[in-house]
Amino acid sequence: MPAFRAASALTLLTAVSVPASAHAGGRAIPYTLLHAHSSLTYTFTQAGAANHGRFNTFAVRFDPAAGRLAVVVDMRSFDTGDSQRNRILGGKDFFDVAQYPQARFTARRLIRTAHGYRAVGALTLRGITRTVVIPFTWRTADIDGREVGLLTGRTTIRRLAFGIGQGQWHSTEWVGNAVTLRYALELLPARGR
Amino acid sequence: MIFRNTPVRWGAVSQLLHWLIVALIAVQVTLGLIGLELPLGMEKLAALARHKSIGITILALAAIRLLWRWMNPTPALPGNLLPIERFLARFTHAGLYVLLFALPLTGWIMSSARGFPVSWFNLMQLPNLVSKSGTLYHAMIEVHATLAIALGLILALHIAGALKHHFVLKDDTLRRMLPGCAPAADRSVAAADSPRKSC
Repeated sequence: MPAFRAASALTLLTAVSVPASAHAGGRAIPYTLLHAHSSLTYTFTQAGAANHGRFNTFAVRFDPAAGRLAVVVDMRSFDTGDSQRNRILGGKDFFDVAQYPQARFTARRLIRTAHGYRAVGALTLRGITRTVVIPFTWRTADIDGREVGLLTGRTTIRRLAFGIGQGQWHSTEWVGNAVTLRYALELLPARGR
Repeated sequence: MIFRNTPVRWGAVSQLLHWLIVALIAVQVTLGLIGLELPLGMEKLAALARHKSIGITILALAAIRLLWRWMNPTPALPGNLLPIERFLARFTHAGLYVLLFALPLTGWIMSSARGFPVSWFNLMQLPNLVSKSGTLYHAMIEVHATLAIALGLILALHIAGALKHHFVLKDDTLRRMLPGCAPAADRSVAAADSPRKSC
């Protein structure tokens, strides 16, 4: 499985249109995802109870010096931990993964904060693009002799803003509108760039 | 209004708990059957969420009821019962109490094992009783369904017994669980000076 995921992530990476200008500045070090140690999860409320799920395949390129952050998520890789709910969430009324297999976030600018950044950019989900702010902490650490970047944070988006919940599911009585995204990424300096 | 039980009749608190649980069981069975029948979708989600909320309510009321029973005298069974009738009465009552706990608990375990936490009317999320397990989830479906059928059978006995006491034996067994009417024994005494006062 890890091999498959790594391969999928690589395929996705090629799809991330991070401009090659990343190598320009003096200390510009782009980072790419160390997939096995990273997680991208979400939580929403269903009938008054918290429900959790995760995306297993995604790609990230982060270049703090160049002010760039690009994320691509394979929407088919989500898992709610329940096969029935997976079918419903993957279907037309929610993620519609057949029609919209990818979600992407591309930061337009990074705003420095005390412990990290706020990335202002475009989130495209289910074919709808909206401007969102993704706050995160950022630090680099030396783990086993190599530099690793740790990007963590969470943000809340409204599912209906992206058309997630069609028809009867437009109602927020039983499935809440707010969805909290949590990300804990380990990034490695990209080589050869 | 007498709140506490006496040796001959149920007090207002016991009566309220009894009939409230009767009403909730009626709603509960309806929601459970609707939930089973509906295709996957929001209506099914809503029916089952309400089913869980009412189940938790019944569980809490059953606990209060048992506590109240321990704190109060229990009206005696009529003295003219055959041993088999006495056994049936005790068996159905004990069975009903067991099921008032077992049905909600097996439902709660079922939800927990499925990984769908139970919420009480969207107000409070309850902790999972067990960790996620497909085996346990499927086992609990069987147990919950079997207990629901058992509840139907025991309720039928319970109601048949109550009606027999009321219409055939013409005693106060049903009346003493109803508001307003004092048992015949009290009524005959009271009737002498104020016939309308007790019933």
